[in-house]
Amino acid sequence: MLLTLFYTAAAVAVISTALVVTQLNAVHALLYLILSLIASAVVFYLMGAYFAALLEVIVYAGAVMVLFLFVVMLLNLGQRTIEQEQAWLQPGSWRGPAVLAGVLLTELLWVLATGSAAETGHVVSSKEVGIRLFGPYVLAVELASMLLLAGLVGAYHLARRGGRLR
Amino acid sequence: MNVDRVQVESLVPLAIYFLLVLGVVGVMLAIPRFVAQRRRSQARDEPFESGILSVGDTHLHLGVHFWPIAIFFVIFDLEAIFIFAWAVAVREVGWPGYLEMLVFVSVLLAALVYLWKLGALDWRTRRQQLQDSLLSERG
Amino acid sequence: MSVGSPLNIGLILGAVIATAAVLIWVERRLLAVWQDRLGPNRLGPLGLLQVAADMIKILSKEDWVPPFADKGVFVFAPTVIMVTMLTAFAVVPIAPDVGIIDFNFGLLYFLALSSLSVYSAVLAGYASNNKYSLYGALRASAQTLSYEVFMGLSVMGVVMLAGTFDLRVIVEAQQNLWYIVPQCLGFAVFFIAALAESHRTPFDLPEAEHELVAGFHTEYSGIKFGMFFVGEYIGITLSSAMMVTLFFGGWHGPLLPPVVWFVLKTAVFIMLFILIRGSLPRPRYDQLMAFGWKVMLPLALVNLMLTGALVLMVGSDA
Repeated sequence: MLLTLFYTAAAVAVISTALVVTQLNAVHALLYLILSLIASAVVFYLMGAYFAALLEVIVYAGAVMVLFLFVVMLLNLGQRTIEQEQAWLQPGSWRGPAVLAGVLLTELLWVLATGSAAETGHVVSSKEVGIRLFGPYVLAVELASMLLLAGLVGAYHLARRGGRLR
Repeated sequence: MNVDRVQVESLVPLAIYFLLVLGVVGVMLAIPRFVAQRRRSQARDEPFESGILSVGDTHLHLGVHFWPIAIFFVIFDLEAIFIFAWAVAVREVGWPGYLEMLVFVSVLLAALVYLWKLGALDWRTRRQQLQDSLLSERG
Repeated sequence: MSVGSPLNIGLILGAVIATAAVLIWVERRLLAVWQDRLGPNRLGPLGLLQVAADMIKILSKEDWVPPFADKGVFVFAPTVIMVTMLTAFAVVPIAPDVGIIDFNFGLLYFLALSSLSVYSAVLAGYASNNKYSLYGALRASAQTLSYEVFMGLSVMGVVMLAGTFDLRVIVEAQQNLWYIVPQCLGFAVFFIAALAESHRTPFDLPEAEHELVAGFHTEYSGIKFGMFFVGEYIGITLSSAMMVTLFFGGWHGPLLPPVVWFVLKTAVFIMLFILIRGSLPRPRYDQLMAFGWKVMLPLALVNLMLTGALVLMVGSDA
């Protein structure tokens, strides 16, 4: 039961990610990306990382993807964007990356096939996450806050210089 | 029953409920297919813009000032995630954790004050700003 | 009856949808009373059959998809709000043995689904290919995003006090003292955030009719418009239920059975939502946004740090 659900969710994630790449319309591609993120949240859940699963939905599907959608809506050029996408999807331009990605994939499959199976299904409680974060990894949290501060200030200044803000 | 293992069975009610919800929404969308009226009129297939004929398309760059909001949101949401993790374990991590969080929140507030001072949190149009400054001059 | 039994699932889904339908009538009647009018009072006792009439009318309206729209997304957008709002109800603890699932991350689940519901407005605005819709969608999402940040932060005070995200445990922890007492600041922030998330007056700028026709759902009609409408009412019911759960002791109360207490408390908050719509004017857009970032966000953070100190001080004494 658990394994069936796990592989179904994983398959949904992989297929929808492939559809993200092949979609011509940017908004449709984003919808598949959201679906893919929700599917990977289910995978996290089934591996026992409940907290990570919900955070995946809140942060990635609920926040980062909204940002993407926002940008697409602000910069949408309609038919022109679709034509551009079509040009990018010509076999000539993706053949090289696809071959290289295939090499990585075989490597990954080989590691998975020979390596020992990781333990799954061990439930991680949210308390555990909090205790670890504010115990041994306290410095990482502090660094993260600095990083986010830099991101915030940097993003604002870039946006102000790039676009006419008001 | 081992509590430490993922219990898929406990999710069955949620799954049934979710399918029911999808069913209800599907039925709601399907009913008009069978009972709804159909009309034809001249301006039926035009975008509604208060009776004015639509000009151009929607690919306008009309909301650039919305863009920083989305960035602020993503970053503050990420900070909120750390706060979530702290909130649930506040008793366990005790005062050291509290101090750490105090620093974290101070950085967050400092960023907010910085943006505030820059005017990034001011979404007034130029005209509104002008009006407000005129009003404050008059007292 | 136990949590998650088939009877429970069916009854809760039916009750939520019926509540949303009846709320259309309740809102019109209450607004009328507060404005010295009568409201819909012709059909059936007290005008209650107005609900049925509205339903028949909206179902028999043409199911129109604009030829200039992005058709798939256009149909998908209204289903998003219905599905997310209804699904979020699964974790609401209505009474000790009434509910759909006992989930130890209930609160995060609620926050996750309410963060997904923003897509409804954004996608509707994008798919309509109408300038008013697009602008309404941008406003709706900017507003929802701004207020969502501290909606999550405001309930963390409750999480600290209870030490869990499990909504049932949170309700049980309020046996003696409702969290509204130590968390009045948190409640105020949550209430305003919930009001903003529901896109109702005074936060209805995404669909401000004097400037944007009807905002993101300008091009919607018939049942698809109805779904936005019902979705909004389900959202109000959900927010009210969450306020009762998190701050007002959930099902706790003397004499009456738990379910009755829960329903009564939720009804009070729904009426409060309507009263606010009936009494407050609409602010300017920039004022609304500035209020969120400059007042509510710092307030939520201050509440958080105060609650943390309180919890730790009381905890070390014990």
